[in-house]
Amino acid sequence: MSNMLLEAKEVHTYYGASHILHGIDFNIREGEGIALMGRNGMGKSTLIKSMLGIVRPRHGRVLVRGDDYTRARTYQTAQQGIAYVPEGRGIFKSLTVRENLLMSARAGIDGRREWTFDRVMATFPRLGERINNGGWQLSGGEQQMLTIGRALMTNPDLLILDEATEGLAPLIAMEIWRIVKEIRKTGIATVIVDKNHGAVTSICDRAMILVKGQVVFDGTSEEIRVRPELIQQHLGV
Amino acid sequence: MSMKSLDVIRDEHRALAAMLSGMRTLVQGIEAGRLKPDYDLFASMIEYIDKVPEKVHHPKENEYLFAKLRLRSSEALPVIEALEAEHREGDARIATLRVALANYREQGDAAFEGFRDALKTYVEQEWHHMNTEEGQIFPLAKAHLTAEDWAEIDAAFLANDNPWQGAAGEYAALFSRIVNIAPSPVGLGG
Repeated sequence: MSNMLLEAKEVHTYYGASHILHGIDFNIREGEGIALMGRNGMGKSTLIKSMLGIVRPRHGRVLVRGDDYTRARTYQTAQQGIAYVPEGRGIFKSLTVRENLLMSARAGIDGRREWTFDRVMATFPRLGERINNGGWQLSGGEQQMLTIGRALMTNPDLLILDEATEGLAPLIAMEIWRIVKEIRKTGIATVIVDKNHGAVTSICDRAMILVKGQVVFDGTSEEIRVRPELIQQHLGV
Repeated sequence: MSMKSLDVIRDEHRALAAMLSGMRTLVQGIEAGRLKPDYDLFASMIEYIDKVPEKVHHPKENEYLFAKLRLRSSEALPVIEALEAEHREGDARIATLRVALANYREQGDAAFEGFRDALKTYVEQEWHHMNTEEGQIFPLAKAHLTAEDWAEIDAAFLANDNPWQGAAGEYAALFSRIVNIAPSPVGLGG
């Protein structure tokens, strides 16, 4: 498909002798939103890392816009318009907020610069108040905003959020979801990993559930709504 | 049948639950001596609860979801009537909370317990109310409403599918302001 952004085909990933992903197929098209769900340890983050070259699959292929990126370096995949907001945030704590944002600024793959420094400031006014603070001085919620802002500064076509609200107070988590919802409206494709299945299925049109490194459900968020037993069976909620 | 309106209702419940959880945590922090009272912050939080859940969320439920379900399920009638009665009492319950806050602002520590208890009562009532809706009304709605019913309900709810925005973004601004000024561990301030 011409609008396919990222694909995993029959991906098997191991950590040492532990077989984590068992032949997973995944794909996301331009503008699509996918809620990637599953209990802890089911392979969600490993799937993302496998597709981004952070962890190497032992078998299978990773395609970016139809081209083989299975053995590509992470920065090469990122340069294809894929931005990653990792679990644990990964901001540069010795840099200021401004520096964290500016160091990642670049045009999108088609040359567009929709996400500028000013637009990120407008989206996260809180970061404006902390602009000259070091990363180490930020609270967890502020760090999360900075990580998302930094990802947007790359003008991505695909934004991958791994546990974006993990450990945040409910009010801050709601603010993050509100902003992610606004970002989704701009047409950026999004993969969201989060334990709050209600929030992610309300933001994404598609949902996938992983159990023990295999896809047990790949369908619409609507199906999840209509069949709550899927959530009970596979997520234990 | 998309039943997208149920997502909207759950979203709105989560927003309210987050606000109530934040208020409760602030009160616990004050009681434990870790936080000082910020009356304006409490007033903003009550304003949010009044403007969004009470004035926007509840009328939508009454007008669309409950109205349709009334016609389809006799089993749902007593539950709907109880919930609608609680909706009608919403203004009075918010007023009680406002009075308790006004007393606390005026009298300081002497009126803390009154505010704490009023908040506790409000939070418990809201939790019970939301649990009843999600635990009893949602399953009945899924079982009895027709595709046409859902299309109409969804259209009404999706006319404003973001509970934090408001028609001109005013609720989003209020919510963000609360998040920004509320001290840790509730918000980003302090």
